[in-house]
Amino acid sequence: MTNDLHISEPAEEEHHGLSRRRFFAVSGATGAAVVAAAYLTRTPAGASTASVSGTKAAKPSLNKDLDTAAFAASLEVLAVGTYQSALDAATAGKLGSVPPAVATFVQTAKDQHQAHLDALNQLLTTNGRSAVTEPDRGLKGTVDQKFGQVTDAAGAAKLARELEQTAAATYLKAIPSLTPDTAVVAGSILCVDQQHVAVLNYALGEYPVPDTFASTTDAASAS
Amino acid sequence: MTLDERAFDQVIEESQDLQSDAIRQARSTVPELEEIREERRDEPVDPEDARAYEHARRELVRDLGLAPGLRRGLLAGGFGAFLAGILAAPAFAEDGDDVDVQILQTASSLEVLAVATYGAALGLPFIKDGNPVVVKFAQTTRMQHDEHRKAFQAQTKALGGKKQTKPNPKYAPVVEQMKPSLQGPMDVVNLAATLEQVATETYLKDLGLFTNKGAKSKQVMASVMGVETQHLATLRAVRALLAGGAADLITLPPDITQLPAAAGSVAFPVAFQGTEMASPPEEGAR
Repeated sequence: MTNDLHISEPAEEEHHGLSRRRFFAVSGATGAAVVAAAYLTRTPAGASTASVSGTKAAKPSLNKDLDTAAFAASLEVLAVGTYQSALDAATAGKLGSVPPAVATFVQTAKDQHQAHLDALNQLLTTNGRSAVTEPDRGLKGTVDQKFGQVTDAAGAAKLARELEQTAAATYLKAIPSLTPDTAVVAGSILCVDQQHVAVLNYALGEYPVPDTFASTTDAASAS
Repeated sequence: MTLDERAFDQVIEESQDLQSDAIRQARSTVPELEEIREERRDEPVDPEDARAYEHARRELVRDLGLAPGLRRGLLAGGFGAFLAGILAAPAFAEDGDDVDVQILQTASSLEVLAVATYGAALGLPFIKDGNPVVVKFAQTTRMQHDEHRKAFQAQTKALGGKKQTKPNPKYAPVVEQMKPSLQGPMDVVNLAATLEQVATETYLKDLGLFTNKGAKSKQVMASVMGVETQHLATLRAVRALLAGGAADLITLPPDITQLPAAAGSVAFPVAFQGTEMASPPEEGAR
């Protein structure tokens, strides 16, 4: 509740807005990121009780948003680390011949996940939480084990797709329980993760958009 | 231009089997929404919801004003000029209507238009007799948009609103005007990409506009958004290959070794999806 009041104060909102805009300017983000920044600065309007099927649904709140942001940030740390590992392995010649398009994909996806992580950490630290710098321990163990079996670019692409699907499903599952502005930010990241999945599907020789509705089946939860 | 037809059809078949669960999940929200409708009967508009809605609408206008360069870039070319004029036109729906229903009606109108546009594209000789991968994409995407239309219409009805069965009133005339100028695959891909971007950004913006009662609708909309954005990514990649004179690389499976380096990033040019082209809730309301 204290945090709700904290973020609702106009002076604080303006301060946060300026700091976030500076952040996005420094990180070289574009107009779309400015839109995301604008959402991140807003009061969580509409964060009152929802009633679904006769039972009280979880009340969206800033604290719930921050809990979700912290877990999502841990997924972003994992994604950044895994893509970096793939780049390192490719540079060391451990993945065989890596096509130029795959190399570009890995670098760009890594940079975008870093931007997501930075934005989420900005939200956390602005509201009194610590920045997240470590991946979820359980998920990291699973990914490390799978990465140890990767011997070529196709294997790395499959693992990357798993990670992207997990991230996208996790954001999708969280959206209904988030305050409106945070839901838009989560949706904004979800879109980009889904775009990564489409390209990886195609690169792996599969139809790029196989699903008619995005699913929450692969959503992760904290270990 | 090659296509492993059997493998492709198998992939589509398998994905559609997998999707039956997701479609069931989407449809299963309808009974819950009907309960919400009963709960909402005679319920006054929540002032907090109304304030949030108005606030978000003002922010949309502000967002559009904040990024004129980006907007110009998105709307470049002759089609952009048409679109820019139409974007400036006032919306026609009356204030005070149910925002959740308006959102779903406008979403339905965009889906109706998408289905019609892909259908029209499939009738063009340079599409239907052209690259088989593009044909399969247009067919599959049309089917997916039709499922989205059904989902949005069902939810509109469940919330006590009237189904929107007509195409979006802003963009339908644009598409009509564009039809005579569709002279090749690139023209069609540009048009389709614009519609997919409008849908993606509309649904993204809507995630912040649903009232407190719209949690289930919000989840379905986010689910649909996650697919429209993949259509957009695919079309961006196809557009880049066409523009680069590499139409022969549009194959499934692709020869990944022959794709240019830029093919690895062209489908996702920004780290955060924007909302600059979002349609307001009342645009396609009835």
